[in-house]
Amino acid sequence: MQKGEMYVGWSTKEDVRKRGGSGGLVTSMLAAALEKKLVDAVVVLKKINEFEAVPIITSDVNEVLNSAGSLHSVPSHFAKLIANRNLKVALPAKGCDVRGIIEQGKRNAINLDNTFIVGLNCGGSMHPVVTREMLEVMYKIKPEDVHGEEIEKGKLIFETKDGKEHAITIDELEEKGYGRRESCRYCTIKIPNNSDIACGNWGVTGDLVGKATFVEINSEKGGRLLQNAIDAGYVQLQKPDEKGVAMRAKIKGVMEDLGKKWKAKVFVPIDNGRLEYFMKELEHCIDCGACKTVCPTCSCGEVSKCTQYHSRGDAYKMSMYHLVRFLHLSDACIGCGQCSDVCPVDIPLTRLYRRFANPVQEQLKYGPGMDMRKPPYFEVKLNE
Amino acid sequence: MSAEAVAATAAKTNGWEPKIVAFCCNWCSYGGADSAGMGRFQQPASARIIRVMCSGRIDPLHVFNAFLEGADAVLVTGCHIGDCHYVNGNDKTKIKYKYLENVVHELGIEKERLQLNWISASEGEKFANFIRDVTEQIKKLGPSPLKPEGVA
Repeated sequence: MQKGEMYVGWSTKEDVRKRGGSGGLVTSMLAAALEKKLVDAVVVLKKINEFEAVPIITSDVNEVLNSAGSLHSVPSHFAKLIANRNLKVALPAKGCDVRGIIEQGKRNAINLDNTFIVGLNCGGSMHPVVTREMLEVMYKIKPEDVHGEEIEKGKLIFETKDGKEHAITIDELEEKGYGRRESCRYCTIKIPNNSDIACGNWGVTGDLVGKATFVEINSEKGGRLLQNAIDAGYVQLQKPDEKGVAMRAKIKGVMEDLGKKWKAKVFVPIDNGRLEYFMKELEHCIDCGACKTVCPTCSCGEVSKCTQYHSRGDAYKMSMYHLVRFLHLSDACIGCGQCSDVCPVDIPLTRLYRRFANPVQEQLKYGPGMDMRKPPYFEVKLNE
Repeated sequence: MSAEAVAATAAKTNGWEPKIVAFCCNWCSYGGADSAGMGRFQQPASARIIRVMCSGRIDPLHVFNAFLEGADAVLVTGCHIGDCHYVNGNDKTKIKYKYLENVVHELGIEKERLQLNWISASEGEKFANFIRDVTEQIKKLGPSPLKPEGVA
């Protein structure tokens, strides 16, 4: 199978096909890779309840097959989970996961030759706590009653256990501050073409809607992964129709334009009082370091410039920790939004980091995690 | 700026000398500073020179620290491009400076407060003029907004 080929596929296992989202292709592909010893381990989400799931590394095929099906509200990041472990692993990944994994690969924490990245189309994810609050305030239903969730024609639909459907448009939700996480709203990586194989339900037409997955092969490794699943008898493929391919491209375009609009809305230039703005946003920082711990592009470890040159006792007007992080992330921030998620005092860190990263990443035309290109600093050659 | 604001700034800056931290590389700009003295070029006493072996050694962290400790301006100087004693140290400075400049500017610090200049060991006059120009500019701007309480 060659790079650039597109297929529509589904799982041959009835049970997985029914339970998993969009035909269970990804789940079957991961299970097949594990069974045929293409990889030693697979990362899957283990469901706790409708709103929470923990990522686990497993070598058990049954555990992989049982993992199928989870809600949108699980924004955990896989890059740091598999870093520094020297695993031969296959894992599903959203656009930002893929970027994080590639960045860890550049920092020699992950061996990308041994990592099969199954990219998933992603229109955005939701924060579990915000989702619970949204259900109570906007939908007027108890979070415990939720049985399923769906996005259709710009509406977010929750299904309760008694079979009723509750729908509100995403625009309305986001105006009120609910809905997708902020970093997802202005994200423009909707189809992860930087992964080995990009999967998603966009582009599936006709009878297959909801029962099949559209796949695009992005690398030789991705082709190997899919071929292995076919050989093992786990998945079935067919060629997509032209309408489907066009539809997928159209959805991608629409989502990206929406992302750009949000970007213009969130990053309003501040002409006066920028320093006051940053000082005000950061004044509640308690130096817990959680933003650094979760950051998928940071691989400095415990001893790093941002922590070693920072002291709580300094009478400085800005914390050295944040200044160094602002600088280090201006060529590395992938905008995954994890730092905002974990901040115990709710500093909108991703928004602040992106303020510094956006102009310089555009100016130097360097997008971290999009390919194996090294940061511009490392491109200085000896004979120049 | 309104008339009152101008008066206020003037009162604040009356007799005030800015503190400028100038990072100079051992092989070129430090030599430039030397020949500025040797050639008796007049320059204000506002600059504190920190000698580093190469401008590539200047970590953005040093610049942040200078600002946080109360510097009103920070100058990054080195050899002309192509003249680096360590082959490509100043090429690296150039890229690093781009990121540093972006952070400092986005933070809301005036762009005059952080400047980059290439000065060779023979350009004493250029060095003196540079320090004089920056001092003038900073005197107009007043003390740095990042200066800690109680530091002059």
